[in-house]
Amino acid sequence: MSDQLFAYKRENGRWGLRNHVLILPLHSALASSARSIADASDGAVAISHDWSGEVDNDLARILFTLTGYASNPNNFAVVFLTIGGKEEVSIIEGAKALGLTRSTTLSLPELGSLEKMQSEGLSVANAFVKEAKAQERVPAPWSAIVLGLECGGSDALSGITANPALGVASDRLVELGATSVLGETTEILGAEHLLAARAIDPEVGKRIVAIVARYEASINYEGIDIRGAQPSRGNIEGGLSTLEEKSLGAAKKAGNAPLTGVLEFGEKPVMPGLYFMDTPGHDIEQLAGFGAGHINVVVFTSGRGTPTGSAIMPTIKVSTNTPMYTSIPDLIDLDAGTIADGVETLAQVGDRIFNEIIEVANGRLTKAELGGHHEFALSRMYNTVIK
Amino acid sequence: MSQTIKGFAHGNRGAGIRNHQLILPSVVCSTHVARRIATEVKGVTFAHQHGCGIIGDDVAGIDNFFIQLADHPNVNSVLVIALGCETIQGQELAAKLLKSNESTQYRIIQESGGVEGTVAAGVKAAQELNNSFKPASVEIASLRIGIDVGRTSSLVDELQKVLTNAGHTVLISQSEDSSAVSFSHLAQEKAQLIISLPSENQPTSGFPLIPVINVASSGALHQAIRADFDIDESTLLGGILGLVQSVASGAQTVSERNNSGEIRAPRVVRSV
Amino acid sequence: MRKVLILDPRDNIAVCLVDLNEGDLVEQDDFSITVLSRIPRGHKIASSDIAKNDGIIKYGERMGHAVAPIARGEHVHTHNILGDRLSSEQV
Repeated sequence: MSDQLFAYKRENGRWGLRNHVLILPLHSALASSARSIADASDGAVAISHDWSGEVDNDLARILFTLTGYASNPNNFAVVFLTIGGKEEVSIIEGAKALGLTRSTTLSLPELGSLEKMQSEGLSVANAFVKEAKAQERVPAPWSAIVLGLECGGSDALSGITANPALGVASDRLVELGATSVLGETTEILGAEHLLAARAIDPEVGKRIVAIVARYEASINYEGIDIRGAQPSRGNIEGGLSTLEEKSLGAAKKAGNAPLTGVLEFGEKPVMPGLYFMDTPGHDIEQLAGFGAGHINVVVFTSGRGTPTGSAIMPTIKVSTNTPMYTSIPDLIDLDAGTIADGVETLAQVGDRIFNEIIEVANGRLTKAELGGHHEFALSRMYNTVIK
Repeated sequence: MSQTIKGFAHGNRGAGIRNHQLILPSVVCSTHVARRIATEVKGVTFAHQHGCGIIGDDVAGIDNFFIQLADHPNVNSVLVIALGCETIQGQELAAKLLKSNESTQYRIIQESGGVEGTVAAGVKAAQELNNSFKPASVEIASLRIGIDVGRTSSLVDELQKVLTNAGHTVLISQSEDSSAVSFSHLAQEKAQLIISLPSENQPTSGFPLIPVINVASSGALHQAIRADFDIDESTLLGGILGLVQSVASGAQTVSERNNSGEIRAPRVVRSV
Repeated sequence: MRKVLILDPRDNIAVCLVDLNEGDLVEQDDFSITVLSRIPRGHKIASSDIAKNDGIIKYGERMGHAVAPIARGEHVHTHNILGDRLSSEQV
């Protein structure tokens, strides 16, 4: 059952756990067309965002995100929708340089109207979908897995049940030669010293502390109180009182493995191991960073329950408590609440999560995929000053 | 003014030239559920990435933005869809909206049995709102028309004169890169209709709640996608009053036919 | 089934696994505590007396500090503790 991984081999040595045809609008005015094309197609997916080509302090981050997302190994092909701007060209060329081999660029001025873009886009998309369906998975090494660790809608049980159980699964994958990436800088603030202590060398340890300090400085102004945002209202209702408490629980997702490296937002890990990536706690912005970083499967723990997923990365939802799992089952793939009830041990649930990751990697659809949850958000600094 | 326009009486929101039901997701995590509901009841919704992880001025900023959208004259009723754990709480937002508009309801995903439960409950609530709130017809003598100025054009002053001479109130908003930002400002100022002159490097944009008349420049991009525009600069001054009349009376603009509107919310600080 | 969870011997709080009512007596393993106020499931109960400004210890790590004295058995949450970073006293 979980003895062998089967995946799509990509030309650049990476592996896809899905074989998506992604309709990617490079301008916000083309987002609705992307959505229409995907909805009408035989299984293509689309994302939308609100960038309309503006050149501001977020430009580099936006280009990097879209380039990485387009070249994610879970994509068989990308249909780029463009207005013919030069930044758009850099995204397309950049994605190709990162390993995207199949793509078509549809230019609004060349086609003449949104209506024409939609009809042309639909036939291009369906042709790619047909090709994608014909491609077969082949036996893949464990290193094909690049796992993203996420939590959202956390409660007090997150750090006691689901997150440590995920840590067990993450450790096992890392030991087998896979890669595991922890994110959400907000949610290691207060626990970064624990991760630094596990760094494979002092430089990595210093970097993770520096990244948290940089994050803290970017929002630390007089009278700041980020409670309500972090911890969120739901976190607080669920028993989390301080950011540090949330972080101590959140960091458990990374188990006990040594920390191999620290990545900037969207940076791709080059060798196997456990990493930390600088992403915001905002669930969807964080997933965009993961996608850009070429993560190909995500486990997302939640205490309060959230339906969100990703257009291109299968996102496995794990509940921290059984009452939530029972009341909103269509959001959750697996319940770790049994640990709190004493029904299962941490090791047993960790094992279940590990098996679930392999089955999903091998093709089983998650609840978020079945529900068509393709949320996407560009992570911006806006007017925040990074000191 | 030549003719009055038959509009919709939307209570405290004012008189509208569209009769939209707004399915308003209070957080990014409920946008997909909101879209499923909107598709089924033919309401209007929009994708966004806000409502959670926001701090400082953005908390009141996003809250006020949602309130202003819900209060727009083209809106007949509002159904707020919340997740339950977010910074901008759906039921608190709905309570604020209810103070000025009875035609408001909310549903919470975490309390409605999840996605399917909320879609079912949301569709039912939306249908109840539609049945309970059928707006009377009202004569509109003067429209609030927003002009989105994305490019310098001598026509803008002339356009403003033509519209004000015809009895309309004109609101001007400058945009350089993104008409979407401009449209949001004009929506907050309750413009019932928008005339957009996008930058020569920008395509047309729409806005889910407000019909947008897009004016093509003579530049290469615009002429290449002339089919997405409603009118040219060359015929603008002579044709605008007739076009405004017909759009206000129900004729769809190209962007409405394309269903191509997006809504861009104002943000100042990063997410946390 | 346990009613409270002590995650680390260095902790001065425990996590409630069920709703606890004022006056409840929780006895488990070699631990006994009287609940001094209503505490919802998932929230914390002080397992020692905590002085104002003392650190709150969970998972063996500091997670914040007390802004008022807290008696053993009291609910520990946003009304009587604050994080050390990015949080300010409510005015």
